This record gives sequence, structure tokens and C-alpha cells, in this order.
Amino acid sequence: MSDGGFYLDYAATTPVDPRVVEAMQGCLGEAGRFANPSALHAAGRASNEVVQRAAEALAGLINGDPRRLFWTSGATEANNLAIQGTLRAREHRGRHLITMPTEHKAVTDVARALEKQGWRVSWLQPEPGGLLPLERLDAAIDDETQLVSIMFANNETGVVQDIAAIASLCRRRGVPLHVDAAQALGKLALDVTALDIDLMSMTAHKLYGPQGIGALYVARRGELSVEPLFFGGAQQGRLRPGTLPVHLIAGFGRAAAIARESLRDDYTRLRTLNDRLWRGIESLPGVVRNGEADASYPGILNVSAAGLNGESLLLALEPLCVSRGSACNSQSGESSAVLRSMGRSDELAESAVRFSFGRPTSERDVDVAAARYREAVLRLRALLPCGDGRGAGSRG
Amino acid sequence: MNDDPYAGTVRTLFAALDHAAAEAFEPAGAASVYCHSQGVRLRLNAVVANGVLETVSFRACGCPHVLSACEWLCRRLEGQPVGALDELRPADLMRALSVPVAKTGRILVVEDAVRLLARKIAGPTAM
Repeated sequence: MSDGGFYLDYAATTPVDPRVVEAMQGCLGEAGRFANPSALHAAGRASNEVVQRAAEALAGLINGDPRRLFWTSGATEANNLAIQGTLRAREHRGRHLITMPTEHKAVTDVARALEKQGWRVSWLQPEPGGLLPLERLDAAIDDETQLVSIMFANNETGVVQDIAAIASLCRRRGVPLHVDAAQALGKLALDVTALDIDLMSMTAHKLYGPQGIGALYVARRGELSVEPLFFGGAQQGRLRPGTLPVHLIAGFGRAAAIARESLRDDYTRLRTLNDRLWRGIESLPGVVRNGEADASYPGILNVSAAGLNGESLLLALEPLCVSRGSACNSQSGESSAVLRSMGRSDELAESAVRFSFGRPTSERDVDVAAARYREAVLRLRALLPCGDGRGAGSRG
Repeated sequence: MNDDPYAGTVRTLFAALDHAAAEAFEPAGAASVYCHSQGVRLRLNAVVANGVLETVSFRACGCPHVLSACEWLCRRLEGQPVGALDELRPADLMRALSVPVAKTGRILVVEDAVRLLARKIAGPTAM
């Protein structure tokens, strides 16, 4: 139980691990490694060592090359840099991007902005379970295609795409692949080298690191050109200029190292919690699970209750802290575009609730959540009216 | 910190929807109307005796503002003369519950239900 309620929204963000806090504190204050890591003096070199160690830790988590990591302010910036930066560099070859409507807004909004600028965007619809059929991707790639952007694990449903097969197809067709791995990093085995991913976006705050720091992995820079979005310094090979936030990077590195150690245990625990919550609510009439259960990250369980208003359901669930979908979209009041893209009816998309679990979540927490969800669904169901069949009184 | 999207009144009413009807359909002996629009489905019922709204109840599917609005108006109307139905102003409801302007359409569905109920109680000649 957090100050704000009963927290089951770890897909939105996670609390910072105390070991991460300790690593960050070592970079703050006069006695810490606070100096600008670009400075050539001893203090600067000491800070730079912190940055290098963090890069090694993060690269170790994804089996990548630490020299290919570029620090950003988070996954949103990394996604922007990957997509806009790559397309700007390849614009002379063609103006076609392929992505899915089930991506995070940090990708779909970029794609929509590019559409307004005259780029052609192919929006590939998933199967009802959320997975991308490979033949759909194969058919969409043409001579003009300059980038494919597909997320690793979906932030609303937890559905995990077959990135190995997607990467293999992209390689065969000669198109670079960008993967938004914000929800997968530190939670799923993620080998950027074996998967042959060209560009991968990451963030620290979903794996018990601090908010405000992320990274873009650019494999084979040189072969794959990426233009910067910002200008103003020579840091990070001019791809992402600006003074590096040493304390945030140190925190990200420590969080990555911890995640590497605990990934297997975390996954097993989350699987148990996910199954336990679903067993606790699946008998409720009209309640359905969103997303292919066998192909989903177990830290997320997304469910809909047919016929109910999602906003009222969320209020009835208090003090549980859960989301209707992406936290980044929670103030728009719209039903989930992700679920509608998966073929869910408006009615089901409207009533969707995302439970997401983390390291602090206990079986008791999940039992409380199941009981609260059952109670809320039954309470709101008991309020539902039946129509008179005439449609009288409807305001158009 | 984000502002709480719900005023204290909304939270209080939502927690105690005491005027939710036992029946999903038209209750026996009551005047009842059904409206649906803007994602809102609403049945409003009233039992009238001697020109007084003896009981007023509802069933609804909608956001917390809509459910709270239904409870608010049932509490306000119960025990009042039938004419009180005509006196309801959506602006009063919006103000009392601090309903966001974006939800005006939903509150107008509630108003529609009240107007329809008034006409139904007045009888066929008024329809």
C-alpha cells in the first residue's frame, strides 16, 4: 500500500529500488561524482567512469555493445530519435514507415505527425490476440519503406511480439527495424545482438530506476545513419547533445544490473501473480481477458467487463491504483485505441482495466485486488438499466 | 499532482447511490422513462401520490458524474410536488457537482430523462 492507495500500476512506473537510490546519491553533492562527464579534468573523468560503468551494465542486460548506447530523457525521446532521426537520414531513399496502431503514443503520434508532413505510413492491424501476422508485414514492405517500428511488449495488454521473426524478415527485406522495448527491458530476456535489432528504445523508470532517463541502442551506427533531433554540443557523437545527467545514468545502470540478476525470479513471481488474479475474477460473467494469454508479459493483466463504464469502474475500484490503459493517455478520456485495433468492441474497450504487478506485489495484494474488482463489477452491474425497446428519449 | 477529477460531492454521492432502483425495467406502479445517448443509458422512475413525487429512483450506466447526478436529483426531487421536475436546470446540476464542460452532453441526457418523466406523469395529452 503506497501513500496514494493500493498500487497495481507498475506498467506506468515503478518505485526506485533503494540500491538504485544509493548509486544515485553517490553522484550528488560536493563529495559525489557530480562533475560534468565531458570535462577533461580528474573530477570529470571520475564522472565519465560512472557513465561508462552504467553503459556496460545496461549493455550487459541486453547483450549489446556499450558504445552503441545513447542516453536520452526517456523512451519517448528515444522513440522520436529513432524514428524521426532514421527517416530524416533516409528520406532521399523513400518516404514510407510501417508501424502498428497498437504501439505506444510515443510512436503512433510521431507517425501521425510524419503523415502530416507527407510521409506514407502503413498501419498494420494485429490479430485479435494482439500479435502481428508476419505475412501482413511482408506484404506491406515495398521499395520506399525506410523503417519498421514494432514494440516488444505492449504497454496495455502485455502482448509480446515475435521480434526474432520480425527482425529476420526486416533483415531479409533490407529494412531497418526499430523496437520500443520500454515495457520489456529487465523483465523479459532481451538479446539485442541475437535478435538482430537495429534500433531499440529503453527507459529506466519501468525497472525500478529513476524517471527522466532512457536510452536508444543504435546497432551498426555508420551503416545505419540516424540524424540528431537536437543540436548544441558534441556529446554522444553529436547524436544527442547536452550534459549527461550522471546521477540518473548511474541509477539506470544500477537498475539494469539488478534486473539482470533478478529477471528469472521476477518473471516466475509475476506469472504466479497474474494467474492468481485471473483465477480470482474469470468466473464473473462478461469479464474477458484482453491479449493473447500465452504470448503476454505476465506483469500485466488487462481485463474488460462488458457493458460497464470504465471511468466508473476505476472509481469503484479505489483505493486500488490501476489504469484503464496507458497512463500517458489517461487524461484524454478516450477508450483504448489498442484494444479497438485488436478488434474489441467499443463496449469492451470502454470497460478495460489494466492491472500491473511489480517486485513489491504480494499474493495478498492480488487477492485484495480480485475481491475489489469482483465487488466493483457486481455493484455497477446492479445499476444497469434495461431499455424499453422504443429508443424513446434518445438525444442524438 | 493532477487535480482530482471528481468534486467531493461526486465522491460522496457515488459512494452511496441509495436511490438505485431494485428493478432494471419499469417498476410496478411507477412512471418510468428510458434515455440513451452520449454513452449514457438511464432509466428514471417515480411513484406519484397526490401530486407529490413519493419515491424517485434510477438505473444508469455512465461515468461517475452521471451516476452522481442521478443520485443528486433523486434526493432533491423526492417529496417534492410533481412540478419540481420542470424546475430542474442542467446548469444547477453542473454547478453542484462541478461537472466538466466536456461532459455537458451527458448531463443533458439526464435532463432529457427528467423532462420525459414530467410529461409521462402529466399524461398522454401532454406528450
